[in-house]
Amino acid sequence: MEPLIKMSGITKEFPGVKALDNISFDILPGEVHVLIGENGAGKSTLMKILSGVYTPTSGKIICNGHEYSALDTKTSYDEGIAIVYQELSVINELSILENLFVGKLPTKKVCGVPVVDYKLMKEKASTVLEQVGLHHDPGTLVGDLAIPDKQLCEIAKALVSGAKVIVLDEPTTSLTTSEVENLHNLIRKLKAEGCGIVYISHKMSELHQIGDRITVLKDGGYVGTYPVEDITIDELVTLMVGREISGTYLAEDGFDPESQPVIFEAKNISRADGTCKNISFQLHKGEILGFAGLVGAGRTETMEAIFGAVPKSGGQVFLNGKELHINSPYSAIKQGLGMLTENRRETGFANNFSCKNNISLVPFIKTSTAGGIGGMLNGKDEQRWAQEQKESLSIKCTSVDQMTVDLSGGNQQKVILGKWMAAESEVLIFDEPTKGIDVGSKSEIYRLMRRLANEGKGVLMVSSEQTELLSVCDRIAVFRGGELRGILSSAEATEEKIVKISTNE
Amino acid sequence: MSESKAKKSLNFGTIWQRYGTIGILLLILILLAVLKPSAVFTSTSIPQILKQSSVNILLALGEFFAILLGYIDLSISAACGLTGMVAAIAMTSWGLPWVLACLIGVLAGTLIGAVNGFLINKTGLHPFIITLGTQTIYFGVMLVVSHSQNVYGFPAQFSAIMSMEFFGILPFNACIALAAAVILWFVTTRTKLGRNLYALGGNREAAWYSGINVHLHQMIVYMISGTCAGLAGVVLIGRLNAAAPTAGTGYETYAIAATIIGGTSFFGGIGKIPGVVVGGLIIGIINYGMTVMMIESSYQKIVMGALIIISVTIDHFVSTSSKK
Repeated sequence: MEPLIKMSGITKEFPGVKALDNISFDILPGEVHVLIGENGAGKSTLMKILSGVYTPTSGKIICNGHEYSALDTKTSYDEGIAIVYQELSVINELSILENLFVGKLPTKKVCGVPVVDYKLMKEKASTVLEQVGLHHDPGTLVGDLAIPDKQLCEIAKALVSGAKVIVLDEPTTSLTTSEVENLHNLIRKLKAEGCGIVYISHKMSELHQIGDRITVLKDGGYVGTYPVEDITIDELVTLMVGREISGTYLAEDGFDPESQPVIFEAKNISRADGTCKNISFQLHKGEILGFAGLVGAGRTETMEAIFGAVPKSGGQVFLNGKELHINSPYSAIKQGLGMLTENRRETGFANNFSCKNNISLVPFIKTSTAGGIGGMLNGKDEQRWAQEQKESLSIKCTSVDQMTVDLSGGNQQKVILGKWMAAESEVLIFDEPTKGIDVGSKSEIYRLMRRLANEGKGVLMVSSEQTELLSVCDRIAVFRGGELRGILSSAEATEEKIVKISTNE
Repeated sequence: MSESKAKKSLNFGTIWQRYGTIGILLLILILLAVLKPSAVFTSTSIPQILKQSSVNILLALGEFFAILLGYIDLSISAACGLTGMVAAIAMTSWGLPWVLACLIGVLAGTLIGAVNGFLINKTGLHPFIITLGTQTIYFGVMLVVSHSQNVYGFPAQFSAIMSMEFFGILPFNACIALAAAVILWFVTTRTKLGRNLYALGGNREAAWYSGINVHLHQMIVYMISGTCAGLAGVVLIGRLNAAAPTAGTGYETYAIAATIIGGTSFFGGIGKIPGVVVGGLIIGIINYGMTVMMIESSYQKIVMGALIIISVTIDHFVSTSSKK
């Protein structure tokens, strides 16, 4: 079969770095070609060459029989290539219809003046919207849609432009299990119609459900392309990271959290907006307590209320039997709590700060007076905190003075973790700590959480990846509709049970 | 923020970011020296420039903090005029000792800033809107309290001190600006408060989750800004020896210009006090230079505007090109 796109010998050099080294990649009609690799392996760079954003240093690209040494964004579009990025690029202020045609609005002349031809747009859009299963009125503002529908809108946009090759960059990161299933059905439909799909994902479990072939990149190099049925997840992980990663980070056998003293307790936590109702749980010494549930089930909302980031309407929080009085993150930090938030870029670190400045932020606050404004900066302390965390978390940066924003996602997460470690937090809340992070960094973070638990610190972990919860947590609390529906011990917890409780099936 | 000890490669970007503001200052000085050497090499040029720049530097120091948060304070011009008017009335109509009157003027500035901060915190509206509104209100209040009349006839001692020059080169009012700059430089580089402000300017949400009380810091920033405007108001009436009912009109533009030319990012989180001082001096020198060259003040505005756009354009170009 003739490939839709064939990239061969692609090399891309940036000043001082070889981002891609002699990569070959092709896309056949009617297949899902999965592209995997750790963060920084070169997946995004390769796709940016495909979309015409980057010019390769050498190599060639053949699309529909045309040979190019480099694509630009217009040729890429004309050759039928469309990319749906993880951070969706739909425009919230426009309607679905307008989004589908943005930049290419069809016009008609009224009294000699060109005006937008909405009727033509509607006709063209209706088949495509039907195809992707987006059943909203095309006049709906995209801002009013839920995330999965926005994603459908973006795929529809690609189809309207006549794309034959659609790249999906981590499409399932913020989707729930049933939404993922819908998306996969759509992908199968597109496949049947002869489209070629490039599927980039960090979620190893879905590769076998949806993929046909898998290409692995590592450190900018090409590792290989394999038919999906010939390779196991473990083998893939080994290829990606070049080392074996053990599958579990649980406490030693025979550890019974219930027999340990309670170090942290939440009682009847509620919020006025009703996103969490009467949440109570206990955390024992040495255990990692996981929080499972669908997006919007109230897990993050509960944590925000405990941490004081959003006011709670009722409830109490105890640390080592002593009640804490928390009305802001400041008071929570002062009393030994810490929280790694879900959205690293939006709420995790100051992007104008170096690693050192970010790490020292929380310890400086913790030792401050007068509501956070009192006290002097101590350069020696700051340097020591940063250096200690860099070493203990093995943060990969040129020096602690490097800007945090220039690090990879996994290392940014370590910097954020570092600021809570440097502040010697007693209880740490990890909200989706491995979202968008490569496999290698993931396992380092799991190991770290276990180390903290072993040192007697409290560790709470919110995650939407059940496999992750199952391999890390000693007990798993399952949320549904703003309430805690049950706590499973690691011995009894299975993916099926969690799904059952969280969806009430 | 932290000075990297590592030797960076010398490209235009790093040189511009570090020495850009000083570079502009030298360039303008050289230009002036070539065009009108008689104006530069005189014993009066330096005190003249310093005197004229002091009010603007003080205002820019306050504005710096608002811009550091990614906000703005448009009311400083009116705050400067109003606080000067309050001090003037206090030492004339009320007959208070001039030191006390000046103190009242400065504290009136702090109060004005607190009102801004309170409104910003309580309404949650963008400070552009709040301070645009309060600017108009403060200008109105100034007209009311002064009955639209000039206030003058200050105590001789006040006038004498405000026109003092040390060593024939350093005017007293420049000392006030310098002292304020040193204190605020200390606040921004050595205190937790200062560090928190940079964090807030960089990422407000992340700062909140790191335990920084957003409202408290916003309040402090606008109080600093108001206090600086109060100092500027007192310095202004000292220089003019009178308080005019419309004093300060348009001053916020120059203060914002000094802050931006001084290398402060309009998006918040980046900037340094010494840069702001140099930015204020640049504007003072341009004004001085054009005045001695007999260029009309209308043209001064055109040059100033062009300079803002050019320096911010280079800044933008540098910061985006270094990321590619």
